[in-house]
Amino acid sequence: MCVGVPMQLVEINYPTGIAEAKGVTREIGLQLLPQDAVKIGDHIIVHVGFAIEKIDKKLADEIWETLDEILRVMDEEEKSARSLNSPRDD
Amino acid sequence: MEKIKDIIKLIHSLVPENRRIRIMNVCGSHEHTIAFSGMRSLMPNNLEIIPGPGCPVCVCPESDIINAINLSRKDDVILVTYGDMLRVPTQKGSIRAEGKNFRMITSPFEAMNIAKSNPDKKTVFFSIGFETTTAPTAAILEMGIPENLFILSSHRLTPTIMEILVKDAEIGIDGFIAPGHVSAIVGSNAWNVFSEKYGIPTVVAGFEAENLLFGIMEILQQLKNGNVQTGNVYKGVVRPEGNVQAQKIMAKFFEAADVNWRGIGHIPGSGLELRAKYADKDARKVFRLEEIKEAKIPGCICGTIILGKAYPSACKLFKKACTPKTPKGPCMVSMEGACNIWYKA
Repeated sequence: MCVGVPMQLVEINYPTGIAEAKGVTREIGLQLLPQDAVKIGDHIIVHVGFAIEKIDKKLADEIWETLDEILRVMDEEEKSARSLNSPRDD
Repeated sequence: MEKIKDIIKLIHSLVPENRRIRIMNVCGSHEHTIAFSGMRSLMPNNLEIIPGPGCPVCVCPESDIINAINLSRKDDVILVTYGDMLRVPTQKGSIRAEGKNFRMITSPFEAMNIAKSNPDKKTVFFSIGFETTTAPTAAILEMGIPENLFILSSHRLTPTIMEILVKDAEIGIDGFIAPGHVSAIVGSNAWNVFSEKYGIPTVVAGFEAENLLFGIMEILQQLKNGNVQTGNVYKGVVRPEGNVQAQKIMAKFFEAADVNWRGIGHIPGSGLELRAKYADKDARKVFRLEEIKEAKIPGCICGTIILGKAYPSACKLFKKACTPKTPKGPCMVSMEGACNIWYKA
């Protein structure tokens, strides 16, 4: 849950916005950044759905290199966890 | 790759031959990179990179989880929390096994949406984690949450637990790799106490192997030349003052509290609870939750591992009775837990 994901802002409706990463878009919170500090096209680090800091594109790409491996493991965990809302298996 | 080889060579040259150096990381994602990259095997024998309390799921009190289970069993309550929390074992089972009305969320936004979609129910957001998850929970409070949404706060403060560890001579920490994104919130200045008060170098690092190696190298350079201070090799994300807006919003809704850390015990001022002003949103007060005595998990040394006093491989349950599919202790449940990471690496 503490994994920060670099995303790019594509729409701003402060205090929320729409951000994109790897072709996936999601609504995110911008409340933790000042309104005048964010603009469309900015790269941001998103934690549990909220932008916590702006970053440059080069760093966003570098973080994604590491995240691809971490998220591969996380995906397996989430698939397991998602089944929790359906009938229990333990 | 040549650059990495050069850094490792330099690290070898900086470690003194006549003593053991122990550098602690306090972030599950750092531990993930260290373990999966095989970095430890490339370090000098007398340089230890030890995993510390970087897993919020692991330290979440058993009492809070049992209270969450009990809340989810009320007909008029929907309990929502992050996925890892659903599988954490307790003396009463896990939320997944023993809970009734519960849902996994990946963002506090989803807690808001579930509450809005279920106006006839009370939605309780079991909100856990360090500063990176506290800030988003504070953010939804700032945005305004539905009347039927309540917060069960089990948030913990990273700088406070690190100071406890520094004072423990048994651990013997020579340097800290500070967590990258916690630092983005609290600022690299938050770690100045370690250099100024305890003479321990603390360097903020990012999550890729090369950046972490830079962080380790800087700690060793400081130890060698005696010029101990807070370092930052993750400057693209972390500023000295941190995210001031996030700090203000957190301070508006939360205050420090004396809390338990699972497997570790009671630590004054190390947690965050909602301020009295927001008692009507505080699930502890609204549902009159009581503290439940923690039960020891037979054979599990999760607390000792979190404190940096043992590696997962020292636990007799590790990879035997305790696996990610059959976790006996919280350190095997979360992908940020040292046991879970070491099992998969």
